[in-house]
Amino acid sequence: MIVAERKPLSEIIAKVEGYNRLLIVGCNTCVAVCQAGGEKEVAMLAAALRLRFRDRQPAMEIIERSVERQCEEEFNQVLAEDIAHAEAVLSMACGVGVQTLVEQFPDAIVLPAVNTKFMGRPEERGVWSERCIGCGNCVLDKFGGICPITRCAKSLLNGPCGGSENGRCEVDPENLECAWQLIYDRLARLGQLDRLLEIEPPKDWSTARYGGPRKIVRKDMVL
Amino acid sequence: MGDHQKIVVMACKHSAGEALRELQREGWALPDGVEWVELPCGGSLDELHILRAFEAGAAAVLVLACYHGACRSLDGSRWAEKRVQAIQEMLAEIGIEQDRLEFRNIAPTMPADLASWVEALHRRVLAPAGE
Amino acid sequence: MKSGSKLERILASGAFAVTAELGPPKGPDVSVVMRKMELLRGVCDAINVTDNQTAIVRLSSAATCALLHQNGLEPVMQMTCRDRNRLAIQSDIFGAVALGIRNLLCLTGDHQVFGNHPTAKNVYDLDSIQLIQMVARMRDESVTAGGDPVEGEVPLFIGGAANPFGDPFEMRVIRLAKKVAAGVDFIQTQCIFDLPRFREWMKRVVDQGLHEKVYILAGVMPLKSVGAARYINRNVPGFSVPNSIIKRMRAAGKGKKAREEGIKICAEMIQELREIEGVRGVHIMAVEWEEAIRPIVERAGLLPRPSLED
Repeated sequence: MIVAERKPLSEIIAKVEGYNRLLIVGCNTCVAVCQAGGEKEVAMLAAALRLRFRDRQPAMEIIERSVERQCEEEFNQVLAEDIAHAEAVLSMACGVGVQTLVEQFPDAIVLPAVNTKFMGRPEERGVWSERCIGCGNCVLDKFGGICPITRCAKSLLNGPCGGSENGRCEVDPENLECAWQLIYDRLARLGQLDRLLEIEPPKDWSTARYGGPRKIVRKDMVL
Repeated sequence: MGDHQKIVVMACKHSAGEALRELQREGWALPDGVEWVELPCGGSLDELHILRAFEAGAAAVLVLACYHGACRSLDGSRWAEKRVQAIQEMLAEIGIEQDRLEFRNIAPTMPADLASWVEALHRRVLAPAGE
Repeated sequence: MKSGSKLERILASGAFAVTAELGPPKGPDVSVVMRKMELLRGVCDAINVTDNQTAIVRLSSAATCALLHQNGLEPVMQMTCRDRNRLAIQSDIFGAVALGIRNLLCLTGDHQVFGNHPTAKNVYDLDSIQLIQMVARMRDESVTAGGDPVEGEVPLFIGGAANPFGDPFEMRVIRLAKKVAAGVDFIQTQCIFDLPRFREWMKRVVDQGLHEKVYILAGVMPLKSVGAARYINRNVPGFSVPNSIIKRMRAAGKGKKAREEGIKICAEMIQELREIEGVRGVHIMAVEWEEAIRPIVERAGLLPRPSLED
């Protein structure tokens, strides 16, 4: 899923200070699961902003809404009236959701309330970590199912650098495992260590973001 | 702040609740302006309830939960403390003094402590605003 | 001869090679290069010039190497994958060859979080093995990474690094084998303090016959003080200074006495390394202490350096 984190309140406060009618829109998909921008977080943010602006006259009006998937226009249609009424929309969805609102409601001022971090998974309660950078050409089969492009700090494709120690990555030993230790252990388990001798050629990065913004058109789905 | 200032105590029924009932048997009563909200467990404390209490005009919120080894739901009181810390951080960013939100561990055998904490908090946040 | 570089000819002659490291200044102050260069003249066969080492911005390796070359010294240009994509790397290599540089050490490069621009974007378009393979093809097949023909020759003696002390240990010989398969000519290892582990690594290298396919130069580093040893143990991932050396440094005291002991330990280490099968030379990394190199080489009995004036 897409993992996000609420922006610091001080930053959000500075963004919304100039408005008096605010609509906060959460998204009940990825950002709700990672507890950054679902219904509960919308309520928390709204309560915090009301408290922050409690002395304002007339009182700041804050409307709370959440939609199923902010990245799809169908789910956002119910927001039309509130968006027309609000001076600004504070979106708690990922960057995709924010931009969907912008495209769908071109006159609205839409502000992001979360930082979109990565595609990852919850490792344990309260801990999420990155698993995929969306390079556009999956190579997981070659590396025992562990992505060195995402999980090695240098995206090395031919083995670990000198900074792998006791299974940890030198860039942040406390928080990061060495992807190549994981790959080594996994290939050993699968009896595929001979794979490590193959030289992996330079990656074709044109399928990644480096080739420009990406788009998929499915001919079978377009009339 | 609103006109009707109050203090909200969010209290686990197993420890703080028992202590309060002991005090009441002795004839002690919660000071004026103190609202007692009893929770089935510290673990059922919701961050949103704390914010809502401040929104509703509370001058301070006191959260009372069992000692960490004594929680009947194992980690309920630890979660309560974590949630209080998270809200304290939010309060700091909003511009509300962090000491307006207090967390304390308590046992049913501590009625005297309960009375003194509530009275001290009452003196600190409500009394100066009085007549 | 692949490059005809002095380093290649000395190694091919069977002589025990000595290389040293020179860190460029944190700016275009040529006088620093000139001073360090003279400290190294006549005491080593080639001089590695680091490429924004530990991700700290310095005078470029190519420019510094060109200065060395113009002054009659033999440079080894270090090239990392951190700051350049495959276009920039190839272009810089053409430039280096055009300026007379004949040795290239291919490295992945320290991550930028360790340096003075931790908010920078890194590149890592290639890794060190892919870099070695690309340079070997530029030289041997005269093609760029993109497949176009190269105008002119690319006579480079291609180097790589090896860290016998990183984890997983089993991967360390595999990495060397891959570098050999990619076309590397010489290897400079990470600083060696832990001799038993290095011996174990070299044994595996020799068992696989890799020492006959690549010249291995063992890396050493003189310690300035017991504090430096402790610093390395605490802060430098991938290698550690054993207690026996820490004890000797502590016993030596402070200042000049400690520095002398550090030089002595380093020279003794070189003598031990010389006896290990497959070790064809040493690479001395005296970080910001280039003055130490002459006494180390002298004490190790490696002076004078061979001349190839024929």
